[in-house]
Order: sequence, then structure tokens, then C-alpha cells
Amino acid sequence: VSAPGTWLVPPLASILTAMLLIAAGELGGASMAKFRIELARWARAGVLARPAVHGLVGVRDVDEQVIDEALVKFDAGLRLFHLHAEGMGLVIIATTMTAATAARSDRVRRTLVTLLTVGGAGYPVGYLLWSGLIPYRGVEAAKATAEWLVWIPFGGASLVAAWWLVALVGVRLIRRA
Amino acid sequence: VLFVGALLVAVGESAGAVGGGLRPQIAEYVQTRVVASPERHGLAGSAEYDTEVIAQTVYAVEAGLSFLHTHAQGLGPLVIFTSTMAATVVPWPWARGAVHALLALGALFPAGYLAYSIAVIERGREAGIETAERYVLTPLGSAAIVGLLTLAVLAAVGRRRRRAA
Repeated sequence: VSAPGTWLVPPLASILTAMLLIAAGELGGASMAKFRIELARWARAGVLARPAVHGLVGVRDVDEQVIDEALVKFDAGLRLFHLHAEGMGLVIIATTMTAATAARSDRVRRTLVTLLTVGGAGYPVGYLLWSGLIPYRGVEAAKATAEWLVWIPFGGASLVAAWWLVALVGVRLIRRA
Repeated sequence: VLFVGALLVAVGESAGAVGGGLRPQIAEYVQTRVVASPERHGLAGSAEYDTEVIAQTVYAVEAGLSFLHTHAQGLGPLVIFTSTMAATVVPWPWARGAVHALLALGALFPAGYLAYSIAVIERGREAGIETAERYVLTPLGSAAIVGLLTLAVLAAVGRRRRRAA
């Protein structure tokens, strides 16, 4: 338990995870800008190599629309990874710091910090997975895979932990009042 | 202020989950509400024109929810960090209280985007956006900006005073 007015530092592993996530987000943004054409070519080649998966029919006008949509979603996934990795890195630092300070029980503090760190760090990876799978599985199937493997478990963990933290800080606020 | 910061993060995450998971339901709800108030939304009875108006309204509502998600997630950590900074570097209790009050008020800024979405549904796209901007987003955003600027000035003054002492 912290002395009044003193912040407790969250575990180093949480801080390191958050910093790695921010670095990955920045690297993702930079790579998107630098290798935009190469990435689009790779995704396009992947889509063209699997016509059945993407519902390509061999008619240029129709197929180009399908390919364009897949490429837009591929690009959106990379962008969302960049945004969420940068944002969730800061969220992890702020929330684990708050949890480390506000939680009185060791078990609660450990559980909260773990959920906030693992959930927050895992969630953005789902966007990377979505983008990476689009050429192989198609937009919707890739989205479903990312949803079930990453967004729901990791996002759910982060969401539960965030509301738990709100309740914890709220209870402390009421007790203090 | 800490509670508000933590609440913002939780609301932001929930808004993202709701906005992503219930997108078709939200679009359907907005469409129903727009059709129920044709005059308010400027529907003309022409299918082609009305479809465009409905699509623009749905887009504005979704944009509001999306901004709620991004701004709440971003402003939550910012409020936690800056209020901590204020507690550390502002030596005068009354000034610290004022900065905390401004930051807490400014932290409600993302809720303005929820008001934005609701106002678009209730008052029509243009009128709704104008109402939310004028009465919610501008005052709350200004509180956040004034709070941050005040913190910067007070931190500089406090530092100069500590050096002089």
C-alpha cells in the first residue's frame, strides 16, 4: 500500500511490455509509410494466388473491385495496429500505475496488472494478424480468426480489468469521502 | 481526477467494443430513427436522395462513436499523467485544485462525441453537429486546453521559484 500521495511503480515487465508495444506501433507506422508499395504488392499477389478464397471470377472489372476492397482492409488493419499499439502502450502504463497504487490486496493488484498488461498488449496484435491473414483467408474469415483468437480474449481481459480498476478507484474515493 | 481518468479508459474501451460489435444494429437503429422524423432530417420522399441522407446520418453517428473511443482512450492516460504532474510540480494548493478541476472537466470532452451522435439522431445532421460542437465539445475542450496551459505556466513559475529559493 502506498503512502498517501505516493505513486507505486508497476512491475518492470508491464512497463517493458508497454514500451515494446509503443516501439512496435511506431515501427509499424514507419514501415507502413516506407514499404507501402511493397506491402500492397505482397497482399495483391497473395489475393491473386487464391482466387477461390476471395471469390475472384476472372472478370477484370469485378475482380479489381474485390482486390481493391481486400487491399483497403489490409491497409486499414496495419493502420489500426499502429494506432492501437501506440495508444494501448500509454494506457498500460497509466492503468497499471493506477492499479499498483490503488489496489490494497496483493492478489488483486497482481491480477489487475496482469490483465491490463496482457490484454492491452495482445489486443493490437489482432489487427496485425487480421492484415496478415487477409491474402490467405479473405477479409471476413481473417477478421473472424483475429476476433476469436485475439480481440475477444485480449480485448475482453483489458475491458474487464479497466472496469474493475474504475470500481476499485471509485470505492477508495467513496471510503475517503 | 484519477477516477475520471480510469473511467475514461474503461468507457473508451467499451465504446470501441460496442461500436465494432454492434455496428449493423446501430446503423439499423439510426436508420429507423431518421425515417421516423423525416422533416427533422430533411428527407424529401425521393428514394435516391433519402438513401444518401440516411447514409450520411449513419456515417456521422458512427464517426461520433468512433471519436468517443479514440478520444477517451487517449485522454484517459493524459488526464492521469497530467494530474499527477500537477500534484507534483504545482506548489500552491488553490492553483493545484484549479488545474485538477479544469483537467477533470476537460476529461469529459470525449463524452461530447456521444452527445454529438445523439444530437445527430435527435436534431438532424447539421443542427446536431452544431449543437454538440457549440454547447459540449467547445466548452469541455477549452477547459482541457486551459488546464494544460495553466499547468505549463504554473510548472514553469514553480520551478523558477524553487530555483530562486
